[in-house]
Amino acid sequence: MENMQAVNNFVAAYLKKKGFKEAEQLLEDLQNKDSAPIDFHNDPELAKFIHHFSQSEDDVARYQDGYSKLRSWTYSSLDLYKHELLRVLYPVFIHSFMDMVAKGHLQEARTFFNNFREDHELMHSRDLQKLEGVLSQSHLEEMEFARSLRQSKVNIKICQYSYDLLLQYLHKTQSTAMLGVINEHINFQVSSGQPSSISDDAEVVTLIGSCQDTANQINQKEIHWGLLEDSLEERLEKAGGLLSDSEKTEEENKEGDGDETKKRSVESGKQGASTKKLKKEKALNATAKSARPEASTTPAAPRVKAKLPLPLMSTEVEQSILEDLRNRVQLSSVLLPSVSFYTFLNTHNGLNCSSISHDGSLVAGGFSDSSLKVWDMAKLGQQGGSSILQAENDSTSSEHVVGPNGGKRSYTLFQGHSGPVHSATFSPLGDFILSSSADTTIRLWSTKLNANLVCYKGHNYPVWDVQFSPVGHYFASASHDRTARIWSMDRIQPLRIMAGHLSDVDCVQWHANCNYIATGSSDKTVRLWDVQNGECVRIFIGHRSMILSLAMSPDGRYMASGDEDGMIMMWDISSGRCITPLMGHSSCVWTVAFSCEGSLLASGSADCTVKLWDVTTSAKVPRNEEKSGNPNRLRLLKTLATKSTPVYSVQFSRRNLLFAAGALSKNL
Amino acid sequence: MSIVAKETIEVIAQSIGINNLSDDAALSLAPDVEYRMREIMQEAIKCMRHSRRTILTTDDVDGALNLRNVEPVYGFTSGGPLQFKRAIGHRGLFYIDDRDVDLKEVIEAPLPKAPLDTGVACHWLAIEGVQPAIPENAPVGVIAAPSNGNTYEQKDELPVDIKLPVKHVLSRELQLYFDKISELTLRKSDSALFKEALVSLATDSGLHPLVPYFTFFVADEVSRGLNDYSLLFALMRVVWSLLQNPHIHIEPYLHQLMPSVVTCLVSKKLGNRIADNHWELRDFTAKLVALICKRFGHVYNTLQTRLTKTLLNALLDPKRALTQHYGAIQGLAALGPNVVRLLILPNLEPYLRLLEPELLLEKQKNEMKRYEAWRVYGALLRAAGQGIYERLKIFPPLPSPPGHTIWKSKEKVVTAVPNKRKASMEPLEDEPALKKIATDGPIGSSASVTTLASSGENDAGQPSSSEKKTGNRVGKDGQKLKKSAILNQIWKDDLNSGHTLVTLLELLGEGILSFIPSPEMSLFL
Repeated sequence: MENMQAVNNFVAAYLKKKGFKEAEQLLEDLQNKDSAPIDFHNDPELAKFIHHFSQSEDDVARYQDGYSKLRSWTYSSLDLYKHELLRVLYPVFIHSFMDMVAKGHLQEARTFFNNFREDHELMHSRDLQKLEGVLSQSHLEEMEFARSLRQSKVNIKICQYSYDLLLQYLHKTQSTAMLGVINEHINFQVSSGQPSSISDDAEVVTLIGSCQDTANQINQKEIHWGLLEDSLEERLEKAGGLLSDSEKTEEENKEGDGDETKKRSVESGKQGASTKKLKKEKALNATAKSARPEASTTPAAPRVKAKLPLPLMSTEVEQSILEDLRNRVQLSSVLLPSVSFYTFLNTHNGLNCSSISHDGSLVAGGFSDSSLKVWDMAKLGQQGGSSILQAENDSTSSEHVVGPNGGKRSYTLFQGHSGPVHSATFSPLGDFILSSSADTTIRLWSTKLNANLVCYKGHNYPVWDVQFSPVGHYFASASHDRTARIWSMDRIQPLRIMAGHLSDVDCVQWHANCNYIATGSSDKTVRLWDVQNGECVRIFIGHRSMILSLAMSPDGRYMASGDEDGMIMMWDISSGRCITPLMGHSSCVWTVAFSCEGSLLASGSADCTVKLWDVTTSAKVPRNEEKSGNPNRLRLLKTLATKSTPVYSVQFSRRNLLFAAGALSKNL
Repeated sequence: MSIVAKETIEVIAQSIGINNLSDDAALSLAPDVEYRMREIMQEAIKCMRHSRRTILTTDDVDGALNLRNVEPVYGFTSGGPLQFKRAIGHRGLFYIDDRDVDLKEVIEAPLPKAPLDTGVACHWLAIEGVQPAIPENAPVGVIAAPSNGNTYEQKDELPVDIKLPVKHVLSRELQLYFDKISELTLRKSDSALFKEALVSLATDSGLHPLVPYFTFFVADEVSRGLNDYSLLFALMRVVWSLLQNPHIHIEPYLHQLMPSVVTCLVSKKLGNRIADNHWELRDFTAKLVALICKRFGHVYNTLQTRLTKTLLNALLDPKRALTQHYGAIQGLAALGPNVVRLLILPNLEPYLRLLEPELLLEKQKNEMKRYEAWRVYGALLRAAGQGIYERLKIFPPLPSPPGHTIWKSKEKVVTAVPNKRKASMEPLEDEPALKKIATDGPIGSSASVTTLASSGENDAGQPSSSEKKTGNRVGKDGQKLKKSAILNQIWKDDLNSGHTLVTLLELLGEGILSFIPSPEMSLFL
């Protein structure tokens, strides 16, 4: 290698002296490629080709010719290596096209594109649709997607033999145009041994804007995905122990006088039946643990400190949450949840989003006529009382306008936005609602006062999504302006701005420990951001279309994301890798949610179904094993079809009752 | 070059008052217009997604224009997706039906009803994972999702079949037709009209709604009319005709049909008079069964296995009547030589041991029983013979050129052989049984006239075959020397069949020989 270096230096010096600038540049380029695992230096032929190529680059017909030859060669190559070689075709195709456009041969580029687009239609139809619009050099500059493609290199994993085959072919046929494209835009990662299996394609084919290397680099960063210290769940476990202890003491001295015991007895009296149930559940839990020792991941989840100052919780609230946790139904693949479905009627195609409070008592809908409507399910039956309450508020609140016949309405109308409401979220306690709108604002509403409290202005474009943090107080928003922002309720300016996505940020979700947020984007990636310093700590690559929904597992370890094509992907947050794609939906996955103990995943889709997936098996099966047998069949537990109602949101209550909501649409 | 034509640009330019737009300008504007349009559509699709819709509306386009700070397009607002119409004579050209509205009419029209206010209804989509059958839920089994032709369908769902009562309306004509056919079948099954009816059943196209009725009719009548030979035969003919009809999908009803068909094959008693030729009915039904297996065997892969199991059980049960055995053998034989080889031949020896006492005059005094036994023996012989014949036919003909000369010298024998074979194959239907009687000596007094006639013919045939055997063996020796190598190759295959053949010969005597092509016979015996 040292020898090589010396020769290179010598040649460089010679070229400089002679004034061969182009060649010198080439040599330098070659040297810079040292980091790549392929050694082009030993290949004088190659250098000659490159040289040749740079001289005769006007010849556009070469692209067409070269590509069609390369294509037919690839299709007739050995089956074993074919799929690896086929991967090369797509980047070569789009880059040839863009090269031709860049050189101003627009007509030829068009014909070229139309001739061969069918080959890639299956995998990359959305990208192709975008590229189809590239009609002049300026478009290349202007279009984000094209620009990022031009700037980055594609990484392709390929085995030694396939690589040799390809090189041999390119040398033999002297197709310099192709060689040039390959050199310029593809970074081969040659691995010795057998060709990789076809199923590994998914990560390879996604061309992202930023260089894959940076993505890898980012994904090296350390992540503390554990749960918060002293969380309620943890307290419950302790309390559970105490409770049983106190029960014992109760039995022993039933007439205990101490304040402590009294308080506890009141508490346990209140729960009367539930303590028994709890015991049963515990026993059930224990058997489950002994049966599947590896399935119980929760106790193993490490604890981390909160990086944000967390809001204090009042004791009553804490008590009610604890009670919910005690009454939680343990779900598993054999014990499926009950699903309560809220159907929006007569929406006249105007419902944009829906949200359900944690206890399911409040349902909110955001409409394209800028209104936000909240239904109180408890009041739905008895309307007399609510009308008075609304009438009172009518006079007090200016922002909140209830029509003259407000008494007849079954819902509370929140008006204030000046554009379609795209997202709404309840605070964990159900006393606040946040809504985001196309008018670039986020508004905070109080469900107690039925009034608008704050209007947060900060985004410059429509705000697609807003989500309260699991502890309340903080919230995150995602916008068309390609940023996600962190806010707190008491400030009208954002606390953090997360920038880095190459296209709209479409959805946002908090990590269970509030230290991270995840964002899904139209650039087909999901990113994980550190809330404290605003840095991107993970990039999840694998989706083939826009990401519409995100969910974090309660143990903080996994994340699920649903996309426009109906694909749901499970990600391991610590490694940044996809554990498994869950296929089954045939249309947009609007929403995903984990059950409270993380054993089930529920997803709602535009194909009018709610699907329940088994997370424990899908998370446990390593990728290479799942090829044997049909993986989807194992994991999809249940498909619940609705009556032509696309499912807009699903959510588990703290007691593991599943709520789902959607708008009845007859014309589907 | 771009999908926006240069002319379009010119037209647009004229519409906004630019009359002298240069060609170059139009040419360079066209691609940019296309690009902008695509850009707006991309944004519009985003707006659509964030409104949780899968159909693009004008609102989305307005939203996208808004994003780009462009004035929205006015006048296209509508609550739902637009209805496009295809321009007649132009593929790919669509337009929105935009009618002139008379303002006067609009003003004078009564106010439309106020749209219903939005509401929320709550129901249980599932209780512990099970969907309750309430009107709010989609009917189970009908997946409401319009599947986009995706290959992965919900196959893994538990098959929950809720059969709704189906209202089935049968036209008056079909009812009449059905009545007429059933009448004919029951009463006048030997009339010419019935034959016409059968043809109609086999060819008419509109009969599918009647299939369930016919299957029920057949099943019903077979179970009631086991004593009525002619009725049974007529019913089987009806089934046969239905099977022939290319316009009928009879598959779903096969499971109702098969029991009655099999009954007609292996029932103990079919018809109540001695004169009833129930053998013929069984033969016919055997052919019918074979036809069904051939046509639907690949659809229901359990069909043939279940059938053969039933038949084999009937055959191997010594307590069953001989008539049942006959039916079973005929049924199996009709299914082809492979079935015979796999199922009958292995059981041949024990079965013959059982049958033997029934055959002999001394042991079985009942004439009727003995006759039945001989029928069974005949069927068995034919089945075995056909099986082995088919088997031997598969082999490549032995290399002939050297053999040819030898055969020529034995011309008489050689020519005699094919004739003989043909003679024995043609009247295959009922001859073997009779022939057997002739060759094995003890002829029952019940033997008919035909038996005597054919025995003479057989007596003549038998010596000739043995003569040929010896003659050929001489020739074969010479041939063997030369072609021993080739022979070794096929020897293994041959050996198997050879063994079978030898056992058959031992079991059935020389009667089997008539089924064996001469060269092979000379080789093995």
